[in-house]
Amino acid sequence: MYLWKAWHDSRNRVVLYILAAVSVGVLFGLDVMSWANWHAYWMTISPVRLRSNFNFDMEVTFYTLDWLVLDYGPIVVLLVGLSLGASSAGREYGAGTMNFVLTRPAPRTNFVLTDWTVGLTAMVITVGVLALGALPFLCLVHAKGPGNVLAGLPALWVLGAAIYGLSHFTTLVAGSSAKGLILSVATVLTYSFLPTALHEWWHADALLGATQWTLRTFEYGSWPLSSFDWSVTSFWLAVTAGFMGASLAWVRWREV
Amino acid sequence: MNDLAIHTESLAKFFGKTHAVDGLDLKVPRGAVYGFLGRNGAGKTTTVKTLLGLLRPSAGSAEVLGYDIRRDLVAILERTGFVPENKTLFDSLTPAQLVHFNQGYFPKWSSELVGRYAELFEIPMHVPFTRLSLGNKTKVCHLLALCQGADLLILDEPSIGLDPVITDLLLRVLVEDHVSEGKTVFLSSHQLAEVERIADWVGIIEKGRILLETRLEDIRQNYRLIRAAAEAAPAITSPDLVATQSSENFWSYLVARDAEDFATMLRAKGMTILEILPVSLEEVFLGLTRKEVPCISGKPGMTLATV
Repeated sequence: MYLWKAWHDSRNRVVLYILAAVSVGVLFGLDVMSWANWHAYWMTISPVRLRSNFNFDMEVTFYTLDWLVLDYGPIVVLLVGLSLGASSAGREYGAGTMNFVLTRPAPRTNFVLTDWTVGLTAMVITVGVLALGALPFLCLVHAKGPGNVLAGLPALWVLGAAIYGLSHFTTLVAGSSAKGLILSVATVLTYSFLPTALHEWWHADALLGATQWTLRTFEYGSWPLSSFDWSVTSFWLAVTAGFMGASLAWVRWREV
Repeated sequence: MNDLAIHTESLAKFFGKTHAVDGLDLKVPRGAVYGFLGRNGAGKTTTVKTLLGLLRPSAGSAEVLGYDIRRDLVAILERTGFVPENKTLFDSLTPAQLVHFNQGYFPKWSSELVGRYAELFEIPMHVPFTRLSLGNKTKVCHLLALCQGADLLILDEPSIGLDPVITDLLLRVLVEDHVSEGKTVFLSSHQLAEVERIADWVGIIEKGRILLETRLEDIRQNYRLIRAAAEAAPAITSPDLVATQSSENFWSYLVARDAEDFATMLRAKGMTILEILPVSLEEVFLGLTRKEVPCISGKPGMTLATV
């Protein structure tokens, strides 16, 4: 029944996210089509020497991946993951309803696992439709299909799961959505900027190198030239598992 | 099967240096209405939360319906209806949705009782919980606890926000629908009149320890307040003596039994017996727990009657 409650609480937000993601995907798909048509026209009128330097298929794929997945994908993942995690069971502590929840006859860990089920499903669908919205247009304009867009999705999903895990755990620890969100954002900002700061101020490069390695899947130009990166994705998968374990331990340990 | 619905032995819960529950021994018989009384901060809610697994005990042991609170919590929660002190449920859900949420957890859930109690308590079933009055929120909490087919009801401050009519209905429902079927009701409350009306056992807690645990009938039949006067107070020791109070040359003795024998002993020590009175639960409670402040206003002679 907590599954029903978790879905009831998040369904409006999830539907909004999905509609927004579909809209963004379709808009980018349409944009890609017009861009491709323009280039097709340009190819017919441009000098022959320029045509030889132009890889039409690759450009179309790059363009779409750059704007849709590489640039917007991680941002969407960040926003959706943080938002869904902040609306999870941890907020019941602050709302004063945790004593009601935890006196339902079920192991405490069930509530966390239910949260994860709903949260991750919503995140996977939202991020998925972002790319899938553009997929038909990519297929139309790209002679070889949609390229490696689909290969990039699992990496985005796993990154989203890790961010959801962070937000879920901080919300549990803080006991409120707002405080959990602030802690999560602070953690993301620290992760993003601390290595650069150490590099700039103290010329300590080790952390920066490690951080860049964990984010290299999402750098410009990673796709479709490179294949799916198992090592980086495995790292984020381990981070996700770590947050899930921490949340399960916390909900078992914390008193109400 | 254990004859006790709740049984604690030396149960303790510490928060740092604060001993919220400190060696509590509680014996709540099955099928009884047990009034769990105490002042603010006495440890009532901490005890309830510990029994339901919301807090981990620091020491001691406790069984609810024969199940150990450390090992068999889910089994306890399946059989226990709980109305929390704060009366806070999910704000976004209506009472009807809360019923839908709750019923999935309890195999003995009664939809028939939902309809009956919703009508009896006049609960607006399709208004979001956040928009309900405190009284209606309390009613919804009771509705959920009463319909789950529990063997034990633990009600923490059950009448908060309820008007006298609904309070009366609730007490009747507890007795007629639940106690009559052999179910146990554990009332943690400040409302001594309500407890006195339906309870057959009372436990009075102070500073995390049980001061008194007895049948209410025992209080009515045997407990007496003896007022006596003397120039100086003699040293009195008796296993029957529950509480003593003094004001100038007047003494009040609350005794658990054999009041006449006790009065005879006082006379033998030179005291003049002024009166021997039966006592109410409130007088026992005050006698056991109130602070010795003879005149709060600083104006000697001022009493409630003259204010």
